[in-house]
Formats: sequence, structure tokens, C-alpha cells
Amino acid sequence: MVPYIQARNVVLTFRPKNRDPVTALQGLDLEVGHGEFLSLVGPSGCGKSTFLNVLLGLLKPDQGDLQLGGKKITGPGYERAMVFQEFGLLPWRTVLANVELGMELKGMPISIRRQRSGELINLVGLRGFEHHYPHELSGGMKQRVGLARALATDPDVLLMDEPFAALDAQTRDLMQAELLQIWDRTKKTVIFVTHSIEEAAYLSDRVVVITSRPGRAKKVLDIKLPRPRDYEMRLSPEFNDIKANIWHSLKEELVSKGAGDGR
Amino acid sequence: MTGVVNFYREREPYILGGGFIVLFLVAWESIPLWVSLSKGVSLFFTTPSQVTVKFYELMADGTIEEHFYISAWEFVVGLGLSIAVGLPFGLIMGRSRTLDVLLDPYVTALNATPRLIWLPLLIIWVGIGIWSKILIVFLGAVFPLLINTYTGVKNVDRVLVNMVRSFGAREWHVMKMVVLPYAVPYIVAGLRLAVGRAVLGVVVGEFFASTKGLGAMIARAATAYQVDVVFVGVAIFMGISLIFTFAIKKLESNLSRWRPEAVKTF
Amino acid sequence: MDVKELYQKYQRVVLGVISLTTLVALWEFTLTYVITYNPFFFTTPSHIGAAAKELLVGDRLWRDLAVSSHAFLWGFSAAVIIGIPIGAVMGWRRRVEYTLDPFLTGLYASPLVALAPLIILVFGVGLTSKAVLIFLLSVFPFVFNTFSGVKSTDQLLVNVVRSFGGKEWHLYFKVILPSTLPYLVAGARLAIGRGIVGVIVGEFFASSEGIGFAIAQFGDTYRLPEMFVGIIILSLIAVALTEALRKLELIIAPYRADMESR
Repeated sequence: MVPYIQARNVVLTFRPKNRDPVTALQGLDLEVGHGEFLSLVGPSGCGKSTFLNVLLGLLKPDQGDLQLGGKKITGPGYERAMVFQEFGLLPWRTVLANVELGMELKGMPISIRRQRSGELINLVGLRGFEHHYPHELSGGMKQRVGLARALATDPDVLLMDEPFAALDAQTRDLMQAELLQIWDRTKKTVIFVTHSIEEAAYLSDRVVVITSRPGRAKKVLDIKLPRPRDYEMRLSPEFNDIKANIWHSLKEELVSKGAGDGR
Repeated sequence: MTGVVNFYREREPYILGGGFIVLFLVAWESIPLWVSLSKGVSLFFTTPSQVTVKFYELMADGTIEEHFYISAWEFVVGLGLSIAVGLPFGLIMGRSRTLDVLLDPYVTALNATPRLIWLPLLIIWVGIGIWSKILIVFLGAVFPLLINTYTGVKNVDRVLVNMVRSFGAREWHVMKMVVLPYAVPYIVAGLRLAVGRAVLGVVVGEFFASTKGLGAMIARAATAYQVDVVFVGVAIFMGISLIFTFAIKKLESNLSRWRPEAVKTF
Repeated sequence: MDVKELYQKYQRVVLGVISLTTLVALWEFTLTYVITYNPFFFTTPSHIGAAAKELLVGDRLWRDLAVSSHAFLWGFSAAVIIGIPIGAVMGWRRRVEYTLDPFLTGLYASPLVALAPLIILVFGVGLTSKAVLIFLLSVFPFVFNTFSGVKSTDQLLVNVVRSFGGKEWHLYFKVILPSTLPYLVAGARLAIGRGIVGVIVGEFFASSEGIGFAIAQFGDTYRLPEMFVGIIILSLIAVALTEALRKLELIIAPYRADMESR
């Protein structure tokens, strides 16, 4: 598998005012194949969200080599789009206008924007809600808007930062299933950050365990479950084994985090 | 070197803010050095140092004292009246829907109207004595107090009220145990606004309807081209406003510690 | 909609109108039939009504209103043009906030009206001094509300727009401006009240025209009915402007439950 995304030796240190510097990433290596669904799991504060922002181009690493499709990553670009944990919808825009945001910034003409946003709103199951405002929507619905918005600019890579963490358990399960359907249809490369081992195992082709801060890739596990995946698979013994594997790798990081965390 | 940098970093807000004020005063003071002022302009120009000197002069000969007590009296009585009227009315209007609907249009109308406009009428009714000022102060200060108290009372969490009622509490208990404590931050915010308006009332009332009091002192000094005296008066008012505002803001933040959200002020 | 539903919807207005009419009727009744009053101190609604008819037909009152509005517009526009950018820069750049905040807060908290005699001394009687006073009084709500608005822009939304490749000016127009708008409108509401005070103070002092002057003059000459007409007209204008802005606030920002403003 030719790595579509390649990260080598990424180092990033935060230097806040009046406080000690914090090294979020220390030599993180990662390879992602085209069209792959990859999850990052790790303890809180390990830098997985930071890494996602680096991939997105919002943060510049101090050191490291980042390549997307052979080209260096220097800033945000239309081939990557992010879905945010707290949704990030503009409260003064309707659902339709929110979905169009990326396309607006890209300079796409109105007719195309309208068409695409209509399609995507359908795709995420929000038909009929185009003229609603975010404050009228539930959490799950808001995140669907976020997803539609991210897909609207037709990126090659979807970066998802704990997108379902703010949702209740049932909605979360629902959204996971829908995400897989959408991924299957659109064939995007997805990098998914989560705390939930179960979620990572259920959704991904591969799971990467990140060490506690400063973050590095600790272990990469292949998820050899057939696709399309369904809920029943979560009840199978194979699934439990997979979860156990991930857990064993993660467990050490949680313990060491408790001991060595200077906070 | 890093020691200095750190020192600056930690106190940057104070250094920049204080520095700007100092710079402003210095620039003001030194204007006559840079620009030669024409005869006309120098008539109404003064510098911080001249103002300070004048301040001490006026303190020494008791002028300030005399005017100050009159203004202070107007302020205190007017503010006291506004608390005595504004608080109860705010409480009752907040709890009683009928009174709320009945009085609300008047409160809205009177609040939007600049209080100063009543001055000619007040002068006709009570003359140029101390009461016209007290009433202007009262009119200015009563509305923020009333409206904020009302808002605070009205916003009380129904759940808490019902909970206390379920223990058999009567209206008076509900008021004392739930409504009042909940409304206190709003009331204090209203007090802060009221104090500002009260000072304004003193200033403006004395401009137009007085021969005594700090406002009158300012007005008279202006007509006599005594610009330094004008600034002494202005500075005194500024100082008092600032002291009150910061004191009440402190009180507000202490009393609002249990609140998660910002208290509505206007 | 039948009568009952209409009543529910406009309950406040209806009750307000009813209580007002009752008050006016009581007032008229008491002073006409029950008590004899000194016309130098009191007047009746009917007299006020008669004076209103006369004044509104003639052009004196309208000229006065025009003069006052003229001064108000000058001072207020200056406040908008100068106040908003300053507030915006303060909200956007920390250093600017640190530098200007203490100074401007000090000024905002002080009764700047106290400078009125000085302003009139320097600029003379007339439009300029009024406009300057109005400017001084109404600029601060704009500065501080814009400041609050810009400062409270949700960083998440900034990141969202950045993540789609939005440049600096995209941020201004697509995130910061809409986010600040409710604060601006609230600031305008505050500024209008203060600006009107500026008009009146300026005109009370020394002016030969304007609505404030008119009211003062009526007062000096003990023409109570006319004076009341002036007061009522000014009240109506003030209330209309303030309520219009409140409605505008609600339209622009239905998603904001509570707002902080000074």
C-alpha cells in the first residue's frame, strides 16, 4: 500500500505565555493509505487532536515531514476537511448556508453550491431542515450538518476530531452506522480521533494507539473484520479480542499518564 | 535579560494600560512646549499640573468642601430615595404579573426618556432649591434599580421556588429564601448603574438649577474662563465615579461567584 | 382570529392603552371638576391637547426638531465611525486592549457631561459644541460593545473557517462581523439614550433653537401645556428609537438568550 498520507518524526511543542512549554508530539510517525479508515486512540491530552490539526494545516510542527499524495503539507487545503467535536456551526446561518460555507470560501458558483448542498443534506438525512437554524437542531443533527459541510468541498481526506463525543449513546451508535455508509459511498480517506476503543474498532481498517504526552505512535493494529460492518459484529468474540488488544496497548499509557502527568 | 522579559510578560496589561495614561498626561502637560498657543486658545487651555495646583488651592480655602457637601447631600438623598422606591417596586413587579403588565409601559417610557427633560417642570414645581436636584438624581437612579431588580426577580428559577413551596413556605419565605438571594447580583448591577446615573443627575441638575454644588462650580468657572477650576470639578466627579464603580464591581463579582453565566446589565 | 385570541396576543399593549386612557381621564376630571389648580403649576390634558394641535400645525416645533436631529446625527455618526473601529481593534488585538482599556473605561465611568461647559466655551454655542458633546457621550457604548462582541467571537468558528482555507478578510466578514452584530445593536440602543441627553444638555445651556431649548423656554415662560407637548414628543421619539432597536436585536439574534452589555 503506497502511503497516501505520510507523517514522519513530527514534533510540536506549545509555548504558552507565563507557563512552561508543553511538548504535544514527539516524533510521531504515521502512514495512511488512500481510501483507508484509520483511527487514533490515546489517553486524554496525548496530542491526537493536535496531530489532526497539524494534518489539517492549522498548526505547524516544529519538526517533521508531512506529505499528502507526495506533496508537502504547508497549510489548509481543499483536499482536507475537518469535522469538529463541538460542531462549529455558524449560529446565524441556516443549515443550508452552513453546509455551503466551505464551497463559498472555495469560490464555487451559487448554482453548483445549491445543488451540492441539497445532495449532501439528503445524504446525511436532513432533508426538510435546510432552513432551520443550529439552535433548533439536536446534537446529532448538528453533527450531520458538520459532516455535510466537510463533504461539500469534496475533499480527499476527512479529519474527524471525536465527532460523536458530544452525543448521547444511542445517537452515537446511529451516527457511526451512518458514517460507515457514507464512507462506503464516497470512498474518502478518513482519520478518526476517538477515546472509545469500541468506536475505533468498529469503524476502522486500522487503529493506531498513541502514547501519553508527548505523543508518538505506539502500536498499529489491523482490524480484520469484514465490511460492510453491522452491529452484530460488536457482539462477536473476534470483536472482543480486537478490543482487548487495543486495550492492552492503551492501558499502559493510561497508567503512565496518571503517574507522570505534571498537571 | 529574561528576568526583565518575564517581569514585563506578567504585568503587560498594567504596563501598557498605565503607560498609556501616563503618556497621555505627559503629552497633555507638554503641549505648550511643542506648540505655541495663540492668545485665543490659551484662554481655555490648562495642564494637569495647573489643575493639581488649583485643586490644592481650592481645598485649602474650603471652596471645594462647601460645594462638595451640597452635591454629596443631593447624591445621597436622591440615591436613597431611588433605592427605597426602586427596590420594592422592582420586587413587587417581578412577582405580580398584574402589576407588571400595568406598570411596565410607564416604566419603559420613562426609562427611555432622558431624565433631564423633566428639569424645567421640576423647577416650576419645586424651585431651584435642593429638591430639584434630589428629584433629578432620584429619577435618574430609580429606573436601573427598578428594572434590574425586576429582571432578577423575574428570572428566578421556577424549580427552586416550587421546591421551597413544597416545604410549605409562604410567599414571604419564598421571597426571603429564594427570590432575594437570586436577585442580589442583578440588584447590585442595577446599583452600579444607578450610582452612575445619580452622579450624572447631580452634575446636570447643578448645571442648570444651582448656584452651589460642584456642578454649579464648574458651570460658573467655565463662564469665567477658569478652565483649571473646571477640570478640578470634572476630576473630582471622575474620581468619585471611578471609586464607586470599582467598589461596586468588586462587590458584584464577590456576590456572583456562584453564577455560571454573565449577569445581564444595560 | 376572534377577540379573545387578539387580546392574548396584544395583552400588554391593550392594557397599557387602557391604563393610560384611564389615567388621562382621571387627570382631566380631577383638575377640571374636583380641584381648582394654579395654572402656573399644573395643566390639564385638554390644554395639552389644544397646545399640541397648535404646535404641530405651526412650523416652530418642526424646525426645532430638525435642528436637534441635525446635531444628533452629526455627533452620533461620528460616534459610530470612530467608536466601532476602535472597539473592534481592541477586541481583536490583545495589546491594544491592554493599552486602551483602563483609559477608556475610566472615561466611560465618568460623567463626561461635566465637560459640557468647557466644550461650549471652546466651540461656542451652536451645532459644533452640541455635536461634540453628543459624540463624547455616545461613542463609549459603541467602543465597549464592539469590543465585547469581537472579543467574544467563538474561537471554534474562527478555526472552522480557517480550516476551509479562509483568509483573514473571510474571517472578518463571515465570522466576526455577524457574531458582533447583536452587540453592536445593543450598543446603539445605549448610545441613543446618551446621545439624546447630549442634545438636551447642549440646548439647555445656550441655544436658540432645538427641542431642548423649546422645552426650557416654555418652562421659563410658564407655558405648561406647550412644555408638556415638547416633553411628550421627545419621549415618544426616544421610546420609538429604543424599542425599534430592541426589536432589531431580537431579529438579528434570536439565538442569543442573554447578552452582556454595559
